[in-house]
Amino acid sequence: MSRTRMLSAIGLVGLSLVIMGCPKKAPEPVPPPPPPPVTVPPPQEVAPPPPVVDETPDPWSGEIEEINRMIVEQGLVGDVYYDFDKFDLRPDAREQLAKNAQFIRQHPNFRFTVEGHCDERGTNEYNITLGQGRSSAAVGYLQSLGVANGMRTISYGEERPVCTQSGESCWQRNRRARFIVTGK
Amino acid sequence: MLSRPRTAFFVTVLACLPITLATQQRAAADPQIPDDSRPDIVLTLSGGQRPLVRLAIPTAGFGGTASTEGATAVREIEGTVRADLDSSRIFVIQGASELAALQLTGDDARDRELYRSLGNEVVLHMDLQEEAGRLVLEGRVVDLESGQTVLGKRYRGEFPLARRIAHTLADEVVQYFSQRPGIALSTIAFVSDRQAPYEEKEIYLMDYDGWNQRPITAHRSLSLAPDWSPDGQLLAYVTYVRGSPGIFVADFQSNGEKRALVTDGTLNSSPSFAPDGRRFVITRSTGGSAEIYAGDLGGGALRQLTYSPGIDTSPAWSPSGREIAFTSSRSGSPQIYVMDSEGANLRRISTVGSYNDGAAWSPDGTRLVYASRRNGTFNIAITDLVTLETSLVTGGRSSDESPAYSPDGRKIAFASSRSYSRRRETQIYVVDVDGANLKQLTSEGNNYSPAWSRRRP
Repeated sequence: MSRTRMLSAIGLVGLSLVIMGCPKKAPEPVPPPPPPPVTVPPPQEVAPPPPVVDETPDPWSGEIEEINRMIVEQGLVGDVYYDFDKFDLRPDAREQLAKNAQFIRQHPNFRFTVEGHCDERGTNEYNITLGQGRSSAAVGYLQSLGVANGMRTISYGEERPVCTQSGESCWQRNRRARFIVTGK
Repeated sequence: MLSRPRTAFFVTVLACLPITLATQQRAAADPQIPDDSRPDIVLTLSGGQRPLVRLAIPTAGFGGTASTEGATAVREIEGTVRADLDSSRIFVIQGASELAALQLTGDDARDRELYRSLGNEVVLHMDLQEEAGRLVLEGRVVDLESGQTVLGKRYRGEFPLARRIAHTLADEVVQYFSQRPGIALSTIAFVSDRQAPYEEKEIYLMDYDGWNQRPITAHRSLSLAPDWSPDGQLLAYVTYVRGSPGIFVADFQSNGEKRALVTDGTLNSSPSFAPDGRRFVITRSTGGSAEIYAGDLGGGALRQLTYSPGIDTSPAWSPSGREIAFTSSRSGSPQIYVMDSEGANLRRISTVGSYNDGAAWSPDGTRLVYASRRNGTFNIAITDLVTLETSLVTGGRSSDESPAYSPDGRKIAFASSRSYSRRRETQIYVVDVDGANLKQLTSEGNNYSPAWSRRRP
């Protein structure tokens, strides 16, 4: 606090020196403009420099729907898959979560919802809790990797399948944790 | 006289039984149901010791003006009463077609002899009249030996209530002959996606025979897992209408008004009422593992009953109020357990099947019915809680789940994929506990999770 005040005082002195020097040169007609006053005092003592304005827009500044579309298109955060009737993380699930963690850490302002899903083969009732186990396991692992974003979990059980045919390839696609940005 | 078994009579019943059953099977066989997915028919005489009552039901009389409405009502009432009494399995019935050969005279004593000549013991006379635009049904059960009217009932109501009037008479007749209440006025709550297939699910009600299907929620969300309070006045269910799955209650004493019961936390599911209709159990997670919690409609803190790192779910409070059945993965796979209502004295019930879930109690509290995974598919299984013997109610390769007992404990409603051909489809069926009389109740959209009321709301 006191240090800041001292720096401000030095800055004010510097400014007043510049202002006091001006009247001498005033009578001369159309002189070349003086160098900008900010260059006279040490710049860090006046105020922090204005932030650099980057002319290229932030690709992640759009609407949440747009962000989610870009994440999917660029494969930045992917689904995590599970075995039948399990919510343990397989090696491929840990790999995918580590990859997801990179992007999620880079965007600490993004709030994610992690949805737990199941295939059609279990019972509807049990699958609601199984899906919760899947989303919780995914979030728990991300936290162990140091991800500190806000994360909400929700289970849809087998009620929101991404694939509606019967067969292992389709069932595997439905046994997943899905990441979506729901706030920032 | 009717309740006393007589040997000669019993033999007659057995001899005639196959004919009746063949008729019932034909009626139950839906063309959509492939033969290999039908449950095996393992027949035992209903009620065990009690012989079936041989009942004649002649064509109903109609005493009003011959309006189309009246004629329709007569057919509807006749058909409904007949179906209800058939479904009770305490009668061997001869209806209009079986009795057609009789040359009835109009003389009571003479006609009784004619009914008896075909082996009947009692006759149910139904007379309909139209009075001031309303329907009046008179039902009389007459003992054919003594000529006495053993049961006489008279009902009056608007024409649209014809089926309900018929159910009321049928329940009285069943009650008289079996000394237990009929179930024709009970209601089944269920889940349907028919308004927005594969997108939204709403809670529906239907009569026990599949008629009169109507939605009672309009959340435009996922609404699941209904459960009745024992008095039939409240229906608890799960809904995602507020984002995360929460428990809501529909109150039929207040026009079916919905109110939120438990909505905080990340997961609330599988509500089940205690027999007092005040307390309830749910599955709940606040971020950690899913556990069973008990609560009270009056409020107060939820009480955690289970503590296990795996999944605990699908709680069902016993009819005695002393125990709670539930599913737990603590052994490595989902299995059925029973604990007392404080969470102590845990015992495992299911021993066969790699995955068992969705236990429901028989109304007398002696059995649990649940979905049991055998050879990769779910069948409906019943375990006797005294002997721990388990029997299968359904077989075949379709997936049968979410069983619920009828209020008399003699039927089971369940959801099954057995009707699907090209596309997977789930519908609600009813079957007798011995596997007979399979009947499909729904066909529009997909339908799940039947819950059978004890009484009509």
